[in-house]
Amino acid sequence: MKESPQTKRLEDILRSSKLAADGFLGEDARSVSEIIENDLAVVSKSGFTKEQIAARMRDITDKAISLLGNWTEIDQKLLARVDEAKGFIVCPWPHTGRFAKRVTYVKFTGPRAASRESQVIKWSDLNIHFIELHGFFEGKGSNFRIEPKDLINIIF
Amino acid sequence: MIVTLLISVLIISAIAAALALLLVIAEYFFANYGQCTLTINKEKNVTVEGGSSLLSALASQKIFIPSACGGKGTCGLCKVKVLDGAGPLLPTEEPYLSQEEIKTSFRLSCQVKVRKDLKIEIPEELFNIKQYNCKCEEIRDLIHDIKLFRFRLVEPSDIKYIPGQFMQLLAPAYEKSKEDVYRAYSIASDPADKSIIDFIIRLVPGGICTTYCFNYLKVGDEAKMNGPYGQFRLTDTDAEMIWIAGGSGIAPFVSMLYHMKNTGSRRKTTFYFGANKTKELFLLDEMKQFEQELPNFKFVPVVYKPDENEKWNGETGLVTEAAARNNKNLADTEGCLCGSPGLINASIKVLKELGMKEEKIFYDKFA
Repeated sequence: MKESPQTKRLEDILRSSKLAADGFLGEDARSVSEIIENDLAVVSKSGFTKEQIAARMRDITDKAISLLGNWTEIDQKLLARVDEAKGFIVCPWPHTGRFAKRVTYVKFTGPRAASRESQVIKWSDLNIHFIELHGFFEGKGSNFRIEPKDLINIIF
Repeated sequence: MIVTLLISVLIISAIAAALALLLVIAEYFFANYGQCTLTINKEKNVTVEGGSSLLSALASQKIFIPSACGGKGTCGLCKVKVLDGAGPLLPTEEPYLSQEEIKTSFRLSCQVKVRKDLKIEIPEELFNIKQYNCKCEEIRDLIHDIKLFRFRLVEPSDIKYIPGQFMQLLAPAYEKSKEDVYRAYSIASDPADKSIIDFIIRLVPGGICTTYCFNYLKVGDEAKMNGPYGQFRLTDTDAEMIWIAGGSGIAPFVSMLYHMKNTGSRRKTTFYFGANKTKELFLLDEMKQFEQELPNFKFVPVVYKPDENEKWNGETGLVTEAAARNNKNLADTEGCLCGSPGLINASIKVLKELGMKEEKIFYDKFA
């Protein structure tokens, strides 16, 4: 299907390095709608919703913020740390919304830690917004790409 | 019927798109706003070519407004009071302006186009801001994700700044960013050495400027920066001070310590510096040296959770907890803070609980 000018414009911004070094799509050749569709299919299979995932991510970030950049125990299987940098980043979608440049690192320490696909993952505040509102987990190879399956495995 | 409807919609869309394109082309080729006058602070008139953004027009007159995104409307730093001639507020500006700022005519200078004469107000200190060409002279690893970058100024070859201020460093277009961007970093150098600017920078994953500095900038490379900016500084009083910082938030305090050493300061100052592990502490030798040179300066490194097998006899826990443990009444003390919003907010809370007056707390928030 042919892309609308708005979708094309959005994809151009997401592929460009206007807002983040290397952009948000990495080397992923798929269209934004394809990326979202495929990732949401994984989410749907897991039994969770993108809103539940975002809420859990936000909860972890909020708990870790108070530890001022230090690792903190979120629960029996998770450690988390939040780093903050100067400034804000805006959402590339055509709506208002800007987010602190805050990165949450999450380490899985529970049983079967070694078997988890990814034991340390990171997300930004913008990632939480991307997932909650746009179902967007970023393109493969981008700095903040999160595999939905890994994310769900780790945070729930 | 449906086909006719679709064709009609397509035709109308095509006409609208063509008209919009025509407008853009017409503006590019024919719109000539001529020369416009910017009246600054009711007293200074400068003449600029119309058509560019207010931010660029001012920069062409060597008046640099702080902007961390290079005029893309994404940082919200380039606020300027526009009293007349700016036209209506744009949707791209609204997220960055408070209701109070909107009421008092603040605008984002990167979004305001100079199409006619404008009356604006900018703080006087911005007239002292210059663009500097410099050379990267040293890159030193401090910890795994924090480095010290030293730049020697070439043109102009010296700078005057107040310890605590920041500069905007240019990351030129490179492999991972197709456009020039500016980012703000606190000055960490000795203000007496007017030809040197040091920055202490933490690598931000995906950060355009920090990725450039860490992975692309080499010793000997030319660089550009402008400044100095900012109101964060030492007061002129003799009041005792408590400083709190973490990570790259140490930067402005290094510059302040040089200044205190240069001026023979005897102010009682305790600097609480937090890290997650002992291996994340840095500049310890320099801090020890300052302790020897400044009779009333004490550096208190605080490690959140030292490893069990390492010998750490210093303070542990959160940096704010250490400050709370070691102080009883701060009613006559001043506070200086630098770091993330989380650290600043937590520090303010602790200092106020210990009796420090809010107006005596000064900070450089990473926001």
